[in-house]
Amino acid sequence: MLSQNLRLAWHFFQQQKSASYQRLLRWTQGILMIFIITLSLTSNSIQDYLQNNLQGLLGADAVISQQPMLTQQQLSALSKLTNKIATTQQVSTTLTHGAQWQQAKLKAVDDSYPLQGELLTATTLHGTGQVTKGGPNTGDIWLDARLFASLSLNIGDVIVIAGQDFIVSRVLLHEPDRLMEGHTVAMRAMINPADMNGLGFSAELIRHRYLVNADTEQTNQLIKWQQAYLPAAQVYHKKGNHPLALFWKRTENFLGLASIILFFMAAIAIEQLTQIHMKKDQYFSAICMSLGASKLTGVQVSMFKWLLGIVTLLPAVLLLSTAAHWSIVNWLGGTFSDLQWSWDLWPVVRTVAAISLVFAVFHAPVWFSLYKNSVGRLFHNNNSGLSHWFSKMCSLLVLSGVAVSYSDNGLLTLMMVSAIVITIGLMIIMSWSSLTLGEKLTQQISGLIPFALFMMKQRILSKSTQIIGVGLSAFMLLFTLMLLKDLGASMSSYQREHDGNVIVSQATQGQMTHIQTWAKQNAINIRQSKPYMYAKLIAVNEQRLAAFTQKPSDSLATLSNAIRLHWTQVIPANNRVVSGQWWQSNSQDWQQVSIEQEIMTDLGLTLGDSLTFVVGQQSIKFTIAASHEFKPGGGSMTFWVQMPPAALAHIGGAHFNMASMELSDQQFHLLTPLWQKFPTLRMTSLKEMTARFDNILAMITKVISGFSLMIILLASVVILASVNALELKEKKKNSIIMSFGFTRGTCFKLNIIEWLVTAGITAAGAILGTYIAGLLIYQSQFSLTYQPDFIWLLLTLSLVLCSVTCFGIYASRHSLRSSVRTLMSEA
Amino acid sequence: MSCYIELQNISQSFQATQSKVTLFNNLNLRVEQGKSYAITGPSGAGKSSLLMLMSGLEQPTSGQGIYSKNGQSHSLAYLKTDIGFIFQQFHLLPELTALNNVALPLKLRGDKRAMNKAKIWLEKVGLQHRENHKPSELSGGEQQRVAIARALVFNPNFIFADEPTGNLDKDSAASIADILFDCCRENNAGLVIVTHSDALANRAQQVFSLADGQLNNPLANVEVA
Repeated sequence: MLSQNLRLAWHFFQQQKSASYQRLLRWTQGILMIFIITLSLTSNSIQDYLQNNLQGLLGADAVISQQPMLTQQQLSALSKLTNKIATTQQVSTTLTHGAQWQQAKLKAVDDSYPLQGELLTATTLHGTGQVTKGGPNTGDIWLDARLFASLSLNIGDVIVIAGQDFIVSRVLLHEPDRLMEGHTVAMRAMINPADMNGLGFSAELIRHRYLVNADTEQTNQLIKWQQAYLPAAQVYHKKGNHPLALFWKRTENFLGLASIILFFMAAIAIEQLTQIHMKKDQYFSAICMSLGASKLTGVQVSMFKWLLGIVTLLPAVLLLSTAAHWSIVNWLGGTFSDLQWSWDLWPVVRTVAAISLVFAVFHAPVWFSLYKNSVGRLFHNNNSGLSHWFSKMCSLLVLSGVAVSYSDNGLLTLMMVSAIVITIGLMIIMSWSSLTLGEKLTQQISGLIPFALFMMKQRILSKSTQIIGVGLSAFMLLFTLMLLKDLGASMSSYQREHDGNVIVSQATQGQMTHIQTWAKQNAINIRQSKPYMYAKLIAVNEQRLAAFTQKPSDSLATLSNAIRLHWTQVIPANNRVVSGQWWQSNSQDWQQVSIEQEIMTDLGLTLGDSLTFVVGQQSIKFTIAASHEFKPGGGSMTFWVQMPPAALAHIGGAHFNMASMELSDQQFHLLTPLWQKFPTLRMTSLKEMTARFDNILAMITKVISGFSLMIILLASVVILASVNALELKEKKKNSIIMSFGFTRGTCFKLNIIEWLVTAGITAAGAILGTYIAGLLIYQSQFSLTYQPDFIWLLLTLSLVLCSVTCFGIYASRHSLRSSVRTLMSEA
Repeated sequence: MSCYIELQNISQSFQATQSKVTLFNNLNLRVEQGKSYAITGPSGAGKSSLLMLMSGLEQPTSGQGIYSKNGQSHSLAYLKTDIGFIFQQFHLLPELTALNNVALPLKLRGDKRAMNKAKIWLEKVGLQHRENHKPSELSGGEQQRVAIARALVFNPNFIFADEPTGNLDKDSAASIADILFDCCRENNAGLVIVTHSDALANRAQQVFSLADGQLNNPLANVEVA
């Protein structure tokens, strides 16, 4: 019976496969499958790469990383746990040579370095790498090729760091423990530990790493020891997670979340096409049942037919997603060096199964209607209202599933979904009110426009679906493009306006005092200056952070490192309290903090929760007293965690400062001596920031362009599907109009008016939606004031109007091929 | 002044896959406003094609069609605005109520009193109590009455009806025929019906039979030139 039904399904599938509704269904499914399979394959390649990378680039079996140096007691405890230890120290500096300066990571390694792998150096810029044991001799410095070239150095040149001369003796080609800096592109230099001590950098600026050789048992003991005695330190080991694994997971989640809109559009397209599928399958099922077949036959044939559609689509989908995967892996080669393309079956199978399930849920209303309806109903295509609601519920279920599975940033998900829901609501209200009002106002006016409005009002349900489908596509496209445009423009102008053109991100107390005097002497305006200390969050409500939450998020990624803890008595001008109460000036309770709202949401924190921070070597418990958020207008320097100044009396950590200054073009040369005096001063000019930002923007542009292409493709399919679903009705309407003595030209004009009205509502809805999304998301996610460019929005409105109208008219051309004769032949 | 449609030496043929099929040859016919005509004949004889030619919506292979209005002769293309159609399948727009379906041609013409006029016509066909019902909520006979009201609401000079009772039971068919003939008479509209039903055909003032490409007048009281 099953094989018989399968053969029947194959027969009908062959007959229907070239029908336009089948072609559109294939396009919808194909585009989504290509996107999701490519995302899955790419993600798998990167996670694999990171795992292998972890094995080969740790430079040891395990690494303990923390800012302070281990005490003698801790070091001897560590020695008991392991076979061999190598120590490295790192500090961020700015190196200068002549008039040129460049930020770099300065690293000192002891004689045991490296424990595993090879340290490669060369004697010329493009020389062959030689395996080297131990770091440079005292007084020597090795620089990586990029740093070497950017400072225009030659072997034998002298570099001055904090008043001390260093001879450039080798070019640094490869460090086996490079993984620890894998996610930065900072330039690198290496010196002897004795020189590092001689430079006299503040201890709090130097990060210490202990590379150890250890078997599995020793590694486990090491982890336990670290958790007990060094809770603020980080341990990386060969069996653990790559530091970048979390970062990539978040990227994948962000793209996945963005794909919710693709699923939404697919849901609309499939829902439109389902109407045709339902009619065809119901008719077939009714014939089968009238000939004595069971109800199940119709359902089975329909299911097989659907399955055949998916199976026959797979070869093209796999080929295209493999090609896309290959291109992306090549492109990502710039970020993940040595990333190799490989094709894995399992993630593909898993993804195809998941997405097929999603499509099955979208298609379920067809099977449901076949199962629920009687022969009579099937013949007359009279569906119960139940089927309609079932269809809506199916779409909602799938979209919620997608949102939940990809969401890692609760606030962003909420905002994204809110923006979509608001846009849909707006478009429904706008469709209904503008058509009702339009119809009422034009009742006393003669002509085609009142008639078109009247007809659209009468078909409000199907028109609204069309408007929502096209409108959401336009909304998403506009939002992504607007984000791209505005991120670049408003970020630089805003920062310039409020923060000056040089940002000091880390200055010690001594450095800051010097900067203040230096600024006064040179008439440089320091716009803002805020103190902070580094603090590492280790526990929430007495539970280790890693155990408290495992869900990857922006907040968790940042909190896995030490964060800046700011103290202030009053609420900063650029903050507002969202919940809880800010501390009073006379409060004796110093163990309270205010936490940024996004962290509260991401980590699921509530007022009254206790947070344990490690500052220096001291563990301090705070209670969350308030939650704050960024408020524009008072500069962009803001802190995630803030405490009362009274806490300073109880905490012994080193103090740092953030500051912003405005320098004229002629004053920029004054920075070089400042860096020569304080190589560890972290200071960035706007020009550098813009250059860095441009690189990020270029990468985002590529990703967004690819995503926009998907949206445009799916938007076209949505328009085609909605036109296709209404084509028979439209044909009939045109034929009837012609039977009243009107020409095909009249029908064409009516068609243009209908599409202009549809596009008008669509564009207005999309722009309003984009505006709301801008207001919601810009502030919270990018800390930007949203200042829409109305000329740009109007231009976009015209462009959307023209494109949708033209494409809609083009798509509806078949419905104009109607005549009175067709009405007669329908006997 | 009365209008009439005249077909002179009209022939209609089309190319099938391998051969040329001739529906009719050198056919002459005249229909006048205010009178009723029926065209009968076997399926495939070309009755619907003749209706299309008569209404000016299709062009003949050879011959000429004339529309005479107010003493002036025009081509049949000029006829388009003066005709209404009634179909076997009713062809009402399913999303519109009965009232809106009837008002449709008036709204297209920009008539500001469209709804009032539509109400009057619904009353004429006895469906004033069903004005807010959609086609799916009406019986076949009721749907055809709405279609008749829709065809006549804009006062066309001629009504072309293609099997108007073909989908109805005997009682409904008789009732529809009454309404159709009465309304056309009241409105002074010429009525041309294509039908297989002798009962319906016999109610027309003139009956033609189209068979083997020839148009015969069995009652011999027709104005066949």
